[in-house]
Amino acid sequence: MTAELLRGAEAIGLAALMSGVEAYFGYPITPSSEIMEFMASEQGDPRFPRYRAFVQASSEVEAVSMLMGAGAAGHLAMTATSGPGLSLMAEGISHAYVAEIPFLIVDVNRGGPGLGTTEPEQSDYLFVTRSLGHGGSRAIVLAPEGVGEAMELVNRGFRLAFEYRIPVVILTDAIVVHMRETVDVPELRPVLDGVPPWAVRGKRGRGTRNALTTGFLDSRELKEFKEGLERKWRRISEREAYYECHMCDDAEVIYVAFGISARVAAEAVRELRGRGTPAGLFRPITLAPFPSGALARLRGRGIRFVVMEMNEGQMYRDVREALGPDEDVESIPMMGGIVTRSEVS
Amino acid sequence: MGAEVRQAKRIGLLYDGRASTFCPGCEHGLLLKLIARALEELGVADRAVMVGTVGCSSLGYLLFDSDFVQAPHGRAPAVMAGIKLVEPDAVVFAIQGDGDALSIGLQELLYAADRGIPMTIFMYNNMTFGMTGGQMAPTTIPGMRTTTTPRGRDVKLSGSPIDACRLLSAIDGPAYLRRAILAPRPLRVKGKIFYSAREALEAYRIVLNAFRAQLKGGFSFVEFVGTCNVNWRMGIDESKAFVHEVGAKYFPPGLCRDIYGLEGGGKV
Repeated sequence: MTAELLRGAEAIGLAALMSGVEAYFGYPITPSSEIMEFMASEQGDPRFPRYRAFVQASSEVEAVSMLMGAGAAGHLAMTATSGPGLSLMAEGISHAYVAEIPFLIVDVNRGGPGLGTTEPEQSDYLFVTRSLGHGGSRAIVLAPEGVGEAMELVNRGFRLAFEYRIPVVILTDAIVVHMRETVDVPELRPVLDGVPPWAVRGKRGRGTRNALTTGFLDSRELKEFKEGLERKWRRISEREAYYECHMCDDAEVIYVAFGISARVAAEAVRELRGRGTPAGLFRPITLAPFPSGALARLRGRGIRFVVMEMNEGQMYRDVREALGPDEDVESIPMMGGIVTRSEVS
Repeated sequence: MGAEVRQAKRIGLLYDGRASTFCPGCEHGLLLKLIARALEELGVADRAVMVGTVGCSSLGYLLFDSDFVQAPHGRAPAVMAGIKLVEPDAVVFAIQGDGDALSIGLQELLYAADRGIPMTIFMYNNMTFGMTGGQMAPTTIPGMRTTTTPRGRDVKLSGSPIDACRLLSAIDGPAYLRRAILAPRPLRVKGKIFYSAREALEAYRIVLNAFRAQLKGGFSFVEFVGTCNVNWRMGIDESKAFVHEVGAKYFPPGLCRDIYGLEGGGKV
């Protein structure tokens, strides 16, 4: 590992390149454009010979459809966008979910709804974790707390996308993407060696064709297919729910926060510990699947839970559901892209 | 016992004996046959990828034995671009309807064409939304009755038919742009109706050229004017005559671009 001062946007792009990304298709939108600009500048970099396609698409709809094509052909492809763009990409995500096409989307959450602000928020939480696209489609959602972890999660995101053949979203914000941090650059290895057997690229000697379809002529066929998708999602929930529990063992107060809010909460934990209050932090790393089981294990200890998030209290529902009605759970919503420590203390 | 199921056998890229889901009189089946034959004649059947569209043409994949991925409505050109940019050896094609290509998917079509990404699109122009039951399409001709223009298409309210070949001629990207009539002309001989073979033979030559353009590294687009007798509420023979007598006035056959000289180098 080497220590480097990296901006979030650059670290995300670098991690994708180290993971073997082959295509970037995107449409500029604040505050995500720096990722796109970095990927544009990396075209032809001899360190990353696998990276060969960059297109500035005419819209997010076109970009996500291009991701579908490259993903269907069995190649690593990614984009970065923000709320209004993600709304447009929901179409392609729904299709990719049912066709089981892998790709990676970095959502740099800005204030919403509508155009909102270009300041950081975490208000896409419900949109990305509940049903990203029509018809009950889903995505795995990963939320890095900073620049270093963003690199690891980009690599893990591509691995999960291809292992489970599902779209993956990295939910982050303008703080993580724009700040510079000293990062121990992890040694990330390419996710794929060779072409997946299901890739749509011409039969090339295969006896049977590969067909990735999203439409069904028969209701029973769709029912069975969706049951298979639900079994897959249960498998993902059992195996791939990640979290961090920081100083939880003796904690009387536990903050529950993800992404950049968890960094702020960690500061509050330090402050409270300094004043003699045993505080801890539970940080979901996967927002979907939500690490409900791990959180539920903290029940019955008389802990006061404080859910801190930069939205109107969207994750609070998941925390309440995991902990049940008997636990003391408080919500601290912060809207409009404002993060202040005074609101925490 | 249920309905008899015939064992489908594969002839090249087409399944023979599998029940077609196209209506009698529709030229979609003919187009699929021409495409399958052309891919085999060019020796690229094993590299062929069909990208599914939305509309009647989406049913083609049930009859066609190449690799396949379904695109959202209108997005086929973008999905094709995604495949082609990472798998340049693949021979990528789609059959889009006029609604898929010119209504919801115009932007994707325009930008794929503008970038000149090698791919082949066949647009089946039947002047209506076939699969959804005969609503107005961008290509519906003025005065034509559809379920959403029950008094006929009023150009003041709904605009005029969009000429895809002229539209795409306005940009530099495409290598091969062509329009032809796919519906066979009904010929009356001694009181009986016969179908001319000329249209299918010419269409085959055009399909070959469209794939040759992709193999040379170009973007190719062919608009085939066909029928939808069911939604037009016409007899099959009447619908085919309608294409030649009325449709051709709005969508005249011809070559719009041919940078590789595939049709003999004639500039149009």
